[in-house]
Amino acid sequence: MPKVRIPPPYRGPTQGTAELSVEAQTVLECLEATERKFPGFLPQVLDEDGNVHRFVKLFKNGKHLRGDALAEQLAGEDELEIVAAIAGG
Amino acid sequence: MAGPSGDKLITVDMTRQSVEVTDFPAKWKLLGGRALSAKILLEQCNPKCDPLGPENVLVVAPGVLSGTAAPTSGRISIGGKSPLTGGIKEANSGGQPGQHLMKLGIRAIVVKGQPADANARFGLEVTAEGAKVVPADDCRGMLNYALCDKLSKKYAKTASFISCGPAGEMRLSGASVATTDQDNRFPARHAARGGLGAVMGSKGLKYVMVDPGKSGVRRTADPKAFGELCKGYTKSYQAGPQMFKHGTSSVVPVANMLHTFPYKNRTSGQSPNAQTLDGARIVESFATRGGGMHNCMTGCIVKCSNIVHDESGSYKTSALEFETLALLGASCAVATWQEVAELDRACDEIGLDTIETGAAIAVLMDAGKMPWGDSAAMAKLILEEVPKGTDRGKAIGSGAVATGKFTGHTRVPHARGQAIPAWDPRPLKATGVTYCTSPMGADHTAGLVINPGLPPDKYAYESQKSQLVNAVCDSSGFCQFLQPTLDDIRAFYGALYGEEVTRQQIADQGWACLSDEWEFNRRAGFTKADDKLSRPLVEEPIGAGPGVVFDVPDEIVQQVFTRQPMQDDLFAAKAAG
Repeated sequence: MPKVRIPPPYRGPTQGTAELSVEAQTVLECLEATERKFPGFLPQVLDEDGNVHRFVKLFKNGKHLRGDALAEQLAGEDELEIVAAIAGG
Repeated sequence: MAGPSGDKLITVDMTRQSVEVTDFPAKWKLLGGRALSAKILLEQCNPKCDPLGPENVLVVAPGVLSGTAAPTSGRISIGGKSPLTGGIKEANSGGQPGQHLMKLGIRAIVVKGQPADANARFGLEVTAEGAKVVPADDCRGMLNYALCDKLSKKYAKTASFISCGPAGEMRLSGASVATTDQDNRFPARHAARGGLGAVMGSKGLKYVMVDPGKSGVRRTADPKAFGELCKGYTKSYQAGPQMFKHGTSSVVPVANMLHTFPYKNRTSGQSPNAQTLDGARIVESFATRGGGMHNCMTGCIVKCSNIVHDESGSYKTSALEFETLALLGASCAVATWQEVAELDRACDEIGLDTIETGAAIAVLMDAGKMPWGDSAAMAKLILEEVPKGTDRGKAIGSGAVATGKFTGHTRVPHARGQAIPAWDPRPLKATGVTYCTSPMGADHTAGLVINPGLPPDKYAYESQKSQLVNAVCDSSGFCQFLQPTLDDIRAFYGALYGEEVTRQQIADQGWACLSDEWEFNRRAGFTKADDKLSRPLVEEPIGAGPGVVFDVPDEIVQQVFTRQPMQDDLFAAKAAG
């Protein structure tokens, strides 16, 4: 099963869980499966129109997903990493 | 293959306006910035001294890597005993003076004493020929931008400046120290927190001019190996997410989502104005107003600094940061980024910390002494009342706690007298542990842990880890927004001096820095009773549903003072502030 890695700022809904494996064949399915397990997670990644927030970036096996990231296929050993912008200034 | 040599330390006696240049101790070669400042203060400053008296010591210390070709490594530390907290303080800034001082091999400027005439003003000139104190009475009371414009005309094109504004000269404990940026030599970067501008002002020191002349980058033990390291690190950074390429202000929606974008003096963690305060609107404005992203210092690959223009297309301010939008904006119920840009410029002109000033005005508004969201009244207060020295102006310029005393209002969110930055310790409890235990008081750059799902038994561990990593980062010259790890920093140190710096050594250096600072505060009179947050943060909930308060037990908070065993995650943790 693909693995999804949750960034520290988004671990409120996951109650501290940093990574989990889910049944999914695409990035979107992966995120939706995470939401089913941890309600409240998905709005942190997707906006009301279902697009990836501009302050979130998605990486598959270390490669930055650009374009239609949500449709990207995921296979058994793939890792999806979510990165969120955080800084003070 | 020995790396940099011949480094110097400048000691300035402001009582006699004399300068002594000595060799920099070889044993301190891996000490820079914050760690060096802490070491000097612990050795040379009486922790019980009056922060605004002659016994206090002002330290100006670039990072170890400043002046080299290492990317984004020109940060500079300003240190001293804080008039705001009464403890040790290091405030860190970008801009160009850090690079310039290290190109000259100047590891620190240590300013002591005080002129007999409190109205006298002086400048300090630092060049390849040496250093000297010069009269600067003609600069008395000048706003930072006008001052730097005047200095730019007086000195060489290669020079950069460190200055304090009228707030510093008035010795107000919210006063900042400004540094000039690399392109326009505007005083747009600030070592803002803790009132070190007041310490500079108390010494009659209006500015420091640093002219590296034709000095090149610092020598390294193996230039080829160092160059390869720089190239590889830069390539790797640029292949990554570059999360700050639109500026820290792009964090607004994330903070708002996490209930840590303070509204109306932190009575809520979400602002109804988040959309109009979002840095995305600033980026959109570049198309019609001009401005854009730039690097505040040479050699920066992060380029997180925005240049903000007004409606007519003229320069207004730089950089309009997330923390400023949060404290001068959201917490005062100001509706738009354009209004906050005006207020940011006002603070930069007067030389005030935007976080402390925003928090102070939010207290004033919460006390019913100014309408919420009235940015015109705020600008008038900052630009007119502060320099005039009205009672209200002095209170605002002296910070949130002083404003609470002035108004009799008790909702003052702070730790050790320093206002809480945007990141709220109620939803972010490990960050709250940092605010309780950091030698710096409530300072997000001292150890930011943004993990609302962290279990309580990890609060102290994560806080200590972040405090240690940030202490090393702020000593290295690297910017926290580059997010270097301890392994990254020790690799650069090793290449600089041609010798291995082990994990144990780099971790020890971070812990030694924290220990020196805690020891200074202990000698200043701080006790366990001071390791707390103020009442509103422990009694008034914010957040979704019933909300949360800061309720971390003392025994967990106190665990930060016991060093945890080293684990691999310490060396992979990124600096964050």
